[in-house]
Amino acid sequence: MTELDARIESDLRVIDEALERGTASAPGGLERELEDLVLELAADAPEPDPAFATRLGDSVRSGFLPPRRTPRLRRPGVPGLRRPPMVALAGAASILAALAVVILLQGPDSQPEMSARSDGAADTSAPPEVGASAGRAAPEPSIAPSAPLSPDGGFAPGREDRRIERSASLTLAAPPDRGEEVANDIIAVTDRYDGFVLRSSVSTADEGASSGDFELRIPVPRLQPALRDLSELGDVRARTQTGQDITREFVSAGDRLQSARAERRGLLTRLESAETDTEAESIRRRLDLVAAEINGLRGQLRELRLRSDYATVAVTLERTDDEGGSSSEGSGRDGLGGALDDALDSLSDSVELLVRVLGVGIAPALLAGLVLLGVRTARRRRREAVLG
Amino acid sequence: MNEATLERMPPLAGDIPTTESFEALYERTFPKVYAYVASLLRDRSAAEDVTAQAFERAYRKRRSFRRGRGTAEAWIFGIARNAALDELRRRKRRAGLHTDPEDVAVPNVEDHAERSLRREVVRSALAGLPGPERDMVALKFMGGLSNAEIARVLDMGESNVSTRLHRTITKLREACDDRA
Repeated sequence: MTELDARIESDLRVIDEALERGTASAPGGLERELEDLVLELAADAPEPDPAFATRLGDSVRSGFLPPRRTPRLRRPGVPGLRRPPMVALAGAASILAALAVVILLQGPDSQPEMSARSDGAADTSAPPEVGASAGRAAPEPSIAPSAPLSPDGGFAPGREDRRIERSASLTLAAPPDRGEEVANDIIAVTDRYDGFVLRSSVSTADEGASSGDFELRIPVPRLQPALRDLSELGDVRARTQTGQDITREFVSAGDRLQSARAERRGLLTRLESAETDTEAESIRRRLDLVAAEINGLRGQLRELRLRSDYATVAVTLERTDDEGGSSSEGSGRDGLGGALDDALDSLSDSVELLVRVLGVGIAPALLAGLVLLGVRTARRRRREAVLG
Repeated sequence: MNEATLERMPPLAGDIPTTESFEALYERTFPKVYAYVASLLRDRSAAEDVTAQAFERAYRKRRSFRRGRGTAEAWIFGIARNAALDELRRRKRRAGLHTDPEDVAVPNVEDHAERSLRREVVRSALAGLPGPERDMVALKFMGGLSNAEIARVLDMGESNVSTRLHRTITKLREACDDRA
């Protein structure tokens, strides 16, 4: 504590003690002067008029009835409901806004099945069969894109050479001691049908058990035999195939490519007959743009061809536990264990949603808080300006 | 007090249970609130209006009182201060805080001459202080608030209030010495 702080503390203590006693006690000096001053200040406090004190006391005891001032007009509302504080309203609005943003952001991803159907693609899923009774090869689903729609909602009617993008997913379970062998077989089957492995991830546990994920590309004409062979490698837990019509995208890109090529031909003709350098330069610039567009469209067509010529196959390899169930998943279980798993999943989802809401909502909530703080500070300063 | 009146006088709300009724709070703080408001406004009639208005406002808002956010005294003085400042603004008395009151305190004819002189010196020195410092002095000596309660009313830190209060008292003492 500095000397100044000690003096301040000492003087304030003298002040408080003098006020409490109501008399000065110091024999003299600065301390006595201080005591006299504060006692003088306290003694000079204005006293209320007794009649006013009586009147106000009566008002307090009667609960200020009737109101002294003309009551303000209030909006009609439900009787008994008090106006909620602005802070609570701002907080609630922030949370609602955050919730809306989260739902909007999550929308398509959180409902994969619905989105697949809205694409007009067939979505066939084999029900998960658990246990030794599950067949090694599940019945092969067929793809029937009967009313194909392109992703943007339109379609290309009247075309026979339809372009369908196909994809399949397969979940296989294998005993721990066969995991590595099955992983190798998945790659071998892919090679056998002239496909390729785009991505693979295999993890091996201490006891040698393997699990993993594979993303394969299989030529569409050979997809069904490839899936059949893959299904024979282990117990099929789930199998899904989808098809999405991309004919419209394909046709559209092809049409635009034709147009661009026609434009390029026209530009080349104009370039030959250009009479001034300025005109020629302008045409060359346009040619550059058209050339870039043609290149882009070619790439787009190549990509679309690849998507329709090769099916995407996602294979998930899991370990089977001693009871024949999959060790990496808890769903599909019956009884108390299953119920507990479901409850934990629900809890986990709720926490995830809460974290997302908080993540999105914290910024508007902070902003609202800052605005409220600013408004309060400004109001206080405006009010106190009369003192300064 | 009849039974119906008692029903209309519930204990102060708050997150900590308290048995003090609004009436008890009024009895305890009324003279000090009036003294504080009168010293700010320097007008008896206006001080009565504002004091009544402050207590009525406090009564209507009594359920919003939270003991965790300060004492009941600090709460009621905060309301009274806002009401007084609003009144000052409304009236736009330019020199409202810089002129001596005409009717706040009638000089006591029975006072000893020396004491009356001393009182006039203190009042004159007080009138020479800037508004915020006079406000703090009024809260401390007219309102009888502790430094912590003043900090609550003025929305400042307690140590800040202590320092400012000490500086103001020192200034006041020097001004009194100059005038004596």
